[in-house]
Amino acid sequence: MSEIILKATNVSKKYGKHKVLDKVSIKIKRGMIYGLIGENGAGKSTFMRTVMGLITIDEGDIELFEKTGMKGLQQARRKMGQSIETPALYPELTARDNLRVQAANGGVSEREIDDLLRLMSLEHTGKKKAKNFSLGMRQRLAIASTLITHPEFLILDEPTNGLDPSGIVEMREIIHRLVSERGITVLLSSHLLDELSQIATHYGILHDGKLIKELSREELANETRQYIELETKDVQKAVVVLDELGIGDYEVINGTGINIYERLNDVATINRSLVHANVTVSRIGTTRQKLEDYFLQLTGGNHHA
Amino acid sequence: MLNLLTAERIKLIRSKKLLIVLSILSILPIIQAVNSKMMVGYGTELIQAKDTVINGATGILMMEKNGLTVLLTMCAFIGFFIGEEFQNGTIRNALSLGRSRIHYYLSKLLMVSLLAFVGVVVLTALGMICFSIVLGFGEVSEINNYGWYALKTFMTLYLLILANVSIYVMISFITKNSAISLVWSFLYTIGTGFGAGIFLETEHFKHVTFWFTESFLFYSDFASPIDVAKYSDMILVSFITIVLSSIIGILVFKRADIK
Repeated sequence: MSEIILKATNVSKKYGKHKVLDKVSIKIKRGMIYGLIGENGAGKSTFMRTVMGLITIDEGDIELFEKTGMKGLQQARRKMGQSIETPALYPELTARDNLRVQAANGGVSEREIDDLLRLMSLEHTGKKKAKNFSLGMRQRLAIASTLITHPEFLILDEPTNGLDPSGIVEMREIIHRLVSERGITVLLSSHLLDELSQIATHYGILHDGKLIKELSREELANETRQYIELETKDVQKAVVVLDELGIGDYEVINGTGINIYERLNDVATINRSLVHANVTVSRIGTTRQKLEDYFLQLTGGNHHA
Repeated sequence: MLNLLTAERIKLIRSKKLLIVLSILSILPIIQAVNSKMMVGYGTELIQAKDTVINGATGILMMEKNGLTVLLTMCAFIGFFIGEEFQNGTIRNALSLGRSRIHYYLSKLLMVSLLAFVGVVVLTALGMICFSIVLGFGEVSEINNYGWYALKTFMTLYLLILANVSIYVMISFITKNSAISLVWSFLYTIGTGFGAGIFLETEHFKHVTFWFTESFLFYSDFASPIDVAKYSDMILVSFITIVLSSIIGILVFKRADIK
């Protein structure tokens, strides 16, 4: 069984009367890329901060690398890196000096600085100060800064926030590379489910401070997969036809519709068979539930996902 | 702790703020020495009790002469040095690595104390040199053992400054914002520097005036044997201020949520 890197149990946090985290329980195993999804204000950053020990929790327990207690967590956090919200950099310092500061904070050697600058394509920034970097460069430098201490667990809060499409692709590639080449476990957040679906292996959906759903990549794909949507008043007759056609993977929805999850290219054949069997077909066609719709369906709101 | 101090050193050495502070404290004695020379040239007689520094020997009192300037310079520096860590979010980089908040607080306090020390050494040394060049080294009246007097005076003045530095550090960690920290530090400096004297007007509370280190700094004549005799009181008040402000600052910072 793979090692549990993070185990948060019933973590709650209140600001005044407002509960920003409400009994959130998350388990992250080594090698996972865990995506935390939620609209703005759902509690993603707050949860990440509690994990990093930046804010205190009112209730619950946090276990990191199977260690608990103040001392244990302090030791465990030395194996972690974070970039929460905006890239936390010293604007007056160069990329190299920013990394030197973080190396000193972590008590590690400066040997790897050149490699990291190369890895993040920042080797040519020279004496340019971080304040003059583009947002993409700042994001890359922030990640380089977290890597200098050789983390085994990386926490990235909205790493693609504000990046242009090419920057988003680049950031995605960097995260993939970190996981495949360095074996880092990642917890990252986004308010874009579509964006996270291209990176994460597991998902947790936060809404109003509550973790309302956890699912794996396979489960998400399953729940949002492409299917043939059939609308008919003769559901029972239609089911018989589908059985005759040898279709077994379908689902009856609300008594007037059937979602068929196989033979997606045989819409015409299925339609012809239904018509021959005197089934009145109101509508038939392939469709895919958009990730955004899936998210809205879960959160039950008009929030942007 | 040593790792944090190394990080602070890198930040400070590369920072323009350090250059600005040291420039102010370097230029000040030169301008004042030239100004005093011109005053003497125009026939004004320099009086130690009023002008504080009148020759190279009294140059040891540069911190007394420039008390308010040194304090305001340090309050601005500390406000930015600590406040920006919160505002840029860089404080997260150290704390999220499991670094102790007490160590983080103390490393900041230690760094600004060191900078204050370097700053006042530069100010005093340049003051003594410049005043010696333009007005001669001279002497401090009624002082026999100048070396011992100079050492005692310098350390006492530095401690009085350090007590305020410690208060500014506490304010910066409590407010977590450069601008707000600047405003409160300024109000504290002006309030305790010039407001504490109000207690002197009352019969029952006049002793309260000297619970504040700035009262000593602004209202004492460090060349007068009567005030030199109060050095022990000054050192005691400074130590109590440093310890109390550090305890309060650390306690508040330990409970603070870092955004």
